[in-house]
Amino acid sequence: MNTLYIDTHDKKIVFAYYQNEKLIRKKEREENQDHSRICISTLEEFLKEIKKTIQDIQDIVVVSGPGLFTGVRLGVTIAKTLAYTLNIPIRSLTSLECFLPVKEEVKYLAMKEKNGYFLGKLNYNRTQIEEYQYITKEEYQKQTNCIEKEEINYEELIHFAHQKEPLNPHQVNPFYVKKIEVEE
Amino acid sequence: MKDVRILAIETSCDETSMAIVKNGKEVESLTILTQMDTHANFGGVVPEIASRMHTENITMVLDETLRKAHAKIEDLDAIAVTYAPGLLGSLLVGVECAKTLSLVYKKPLIAVNHTMGHIYANNIESDIVYPTLALIVSGGHTDLLILKSETEMESLGSTIDDSIGEVYDKVARVLGMPYPGGPQIEKASLKGEDTYELPHPMQEEGYNFSFSGLKSYIINLVHNERQRKNEIRINDLAKSFQIVAVDELTRKVKYALQKTGIKNFILAGGVSANKYLRSEMAKLCDEMNVSFHVPNMIYCTDNAAMIGCAAYPLYQAKKFSDFTLNAKSSEDIKSYIEKELK
Repeated sequence: MNTLYIDTHDKKIVFAYYQNEKLIRKKEREENQDHSRICISTLEEFLKEIKKTIQDIQDIVVVSGPGLFTGVRLGVTIAKTLAYTLNIPIRSLTSLECFLPVKEEVKYLAMKEKNGYFLGKLNYNRTQIEEYQYITKEEYQKQTNCIEKEEINYEELIHFAHQKEPLNPHQVNPFYVKKIEVEE
Repeated sequence: MKDVRILAIETSCDETSMAIVKNGKEVESLTILTQMDTHANFGGVVPEIASRMHTENITMVLDETLRKAHAKIEDLDAIAVTYAPGLLGSLLVGVECAKTLSLVYKKPLIAVNHTMGHIYANNIESDIVYPTLALIVSGGHTDLLILKSETEMESLGSTIDDSIGEVYDKVARVLGMPYPGGPQIEKASLKGEDTYELPHPMQEEGYNFSFSGLKSYIINLVHNERQRKNEIRINDLAKSFQIVAVDELTRKVKYALQKTGIKNFILAGGVSANKYLRSEMAKLCDEMNVSFHVPNMIYCTDNAAMIGCAAYPLYQAKKFSDFTLNAKSSEDIKSYIEKELK
């Protein structure tokens, strides 16, 4: 099984290619320009570098957010369009789920955002996230029992994603968590 | 000659639309998913919500468009997409989908300016005869151009402040009408009389439009009357407003037709769905012995079929984009002409 992983929720975009859950190669790109200019051209370059074609991809895992609204939308749009046209399974992961499982004995997993933090409430053995919320920096200062992670284990992540049921590409949508003005 | 079939994508505002268009004319299938009801709750288009809905619906609209034409993307010749002007976040969803399709199927990617789409909508049910004068009226535009040939255009003038569509929406809002305002003004004006004396914009010659004076006058009038607890005759005001606004457009078109001696005129853009504007322009053209063209209603408002039409000459000229194509929220027609057509 050849898996393509797509993550554009942050300034850094990541594509990774797996064979049977073994990481073959990953490409990261961080530029101070719009995601839109670089997403597809980076994917095209990446496939060339690993001598694969788009038709070699057999399933897709996409990070659906939370994170940059536009970033997440681009990744999800690419992923669902690929899954629909190639007619292959697609699964989505949240940007916090990428850090699972959490070894430290804490209740919450946090991810920094421009003006605040996304917070995920962990289950009893810290292998799942039960609830998501967005909190301000001030609220984060007061938050106890919480850890902010940086390192992602890419093989663990893809294994975790594959435990999930594949989705209908039409139903793959960004996960924003943070509310916008008109919703409040 | 081999038929050219283009898949076109349009997501510049609050409609997710795709179409398959053959040879820049024949619409094999067209899907338009409008978000109008959602945005009406907020009194206007909320850009973030528009982008979200495009992302949710994009593959469904694609699926529907292909199914209606019994088409497969591998059998099509190119992927065209609106890249400017419009709401940036919304445009990006269409652009990213188009790039992905272009990558998967190795089809050329064609970037289309939305305003050019409105012009080329006139090729669907008739043929654009060159040279022609064109007036594009929409929520974002009020542009007067001469189309000299398929690849040669000249911009005569455009609005120096608000577009005609914006003014319709803002006047409708101050009169307490729901979004979108254009059709509401039109409906109200049918029940009213022209009893309000309103200032006519920009009396001097030239081809530029200005609507902000008229808009501000109406907004102030409504506020003052409300403060004095006087009744506002909404239907009458809608009627008087529409007469002055449309007169501004017809006056400039008349002037341009006289100056240039051109015998063809195209009306395009979302506001060209306005029946009063259509009839006044038809009347003017009739008087001046000018042949008048306006697209069918469905091709006046935002739709992907017109993008497929506008993409056709670009396909023939092999004006293809690479994957670094980016969306642009604004690109006036004048700079587009200078960049692309000269």
